Amino acid sequence: MNPDTLKYTEEHEWIINVDGTYIIGITEYAVDALGEITFVELPEVGKFLERSEDIAIVESVKAANDIYAPICGTVFAVNDTLEMEPDLINRDCYGKGWIVKMKDVNEEEYADLMDARSYRGYLKTV
Amino acid sequence: MQNTPLSAEYARHGGRVVDFHGWGLPVHFSGIIEEHLHVRSKAGMFDCSHMGEFVIRGAAGIAALSDLVIGDIVSVPVGRCRYTALLRQDAGVIDDCVALKLAEDEVLLVTNAGPLEEVAALLAENIPGIENVSEETAKIDIQGPRALEVLRSVGFGDVQVLKFWGTMRMNDGIVIARAGYTGELGYELYIPAADAPALWRAFADYPDVVPCGLGARDTLRSEMGYPLNGDDITTATTPLEAAMNRFIAWKSNFPGKERLEAQREAGNYQVLVSLRSPNRRAPRSGYELLHEGRKIGNVTSGTYGPSVGCGIGLGYVPLELAQEGTVLQAGPRKHNVIVEAPPLYKLGSGRKPVV
Repeated sequence: MNPDTLKYTEEHEWIINVDGTYIIGITEYAVDALGEITFVELPEVGKFLERSEDIAIVESVKAANDIYAPICGTVFAVNDTLEMEPDLINRDCYGKGWIVKMKDVNEEEYADLMDARSYRGYLKTV
Repeated sequence: MQNTPLSAEYARHGGRVVDFHGWGLPVHFSGIIEEHLHVRSKAGMFDCSHMGEFVIRGAAGIAALSDLVIGDIVSVPVGRCRYTALLRQDAGVIDDCVALKLAEDEVLLVTNAGPLEEVAALLAENIPGIENVSEETAKIDIQGPRALEVLRSVGFGDVQVLKFWGTMRMNDGIVIARAGYTGELGYELYIPAADAPALWRAFADYPDVVPCGLGARDTLRSEMGYPLNGDDITTATTPLEAAMNRFIAWKSNFPGKERLEAQREAGNYQVLVSLRSPNRRAPRSGYELLHEGRKIGNVTSGTYGPSVGCGIGLGYVPLELAQEGTVLQAGPRKHNVIVEAPPLYKLGSGRKPVV
């Protein structure tokens, strides 16, 4: 993924609409703060999530962090590879380190998220 | 943040500096897991210059020190070290420390950075002629199965005579102890501050050595079940609770001894144990520990153990549950952790004879 085309949350998740499937991961900033990722807990496929509900847990050597649903919708797919290779997120957070795909989302919530330029501005304030 | 004599060296190796008890120290260089595995297989070097060092000279001074800590320091043979602790009157641990018996009439006491102010005041008040040499002393730890070769490469091959917990003085004002916080063969070097950067660079040039930060230090010690002052051992825990029983000289007199005897008599205290997760998920500091649905204790430190490949930690549980194999649930998601006798990583080179 090209980070310039993604949408972002203040909790440092990214999300993008690819033909009606919404791919979600965590940003480089989040990965840098977490350090080496050692464990990822993924949600059940088919689960409906409200916005800001826990969608996954990402643990690193340093800490355990909850990842939240950026918008409401249904879990359509999860990145099973992360169970054996959680450090894929460290190596490629905008690509092979994606975490969840959602469908049937609230598109208004998606439209309201920050674009890359706003997110970069936001990063200067945190 | 305070700098150590080696702070200027971190940037060269890409060290990421964080605040540790007021000191700017590297949390990692190449990466915590990579550094950890390098120490287990080859060797790593750590800047531990933030730690406190005190010189005690003369029989009266050593006797005074011995009266202040839970162990008997007078009886330590020359050339040996003893792990011990300083207590408050209520038996809470102010600091755990190591006494190096350098000569019949000389001890080097090594303390942690966190409680240094309280420790320095307590020592100065009770030990005649004690000298705080923390400022002018740098400390480099070389840890890993290749540690002896590393020391040989800079002309310190004489340390091969040292057994685990042995110590000797080199002829250029450097004191070396065969000790460490990783479970691997290792040497801790106490160096005049001005000489430390050159030595650090000489070690860095040795191909089997990588510089390591606080992160790897923490994962390495956690796999060994070694407690960390300020996290697993605090003024709210006694040495009995901190599983330091074998370091308590019950025949000595020291502050807090009465309270400690009463606690031993009553036998109903919480005790520090090592925890192992059945998977990669780690128990974390502050997590509650449950047994059969009831809250029975807390996790005081936890992380992922790169050499054991699972979540690991330390925590306090009631004495009757401190049995190997006890299954507990940790944290908000109540995932299982199992009590295990340390070390969790059992292949360490720390106590093996060297050739």
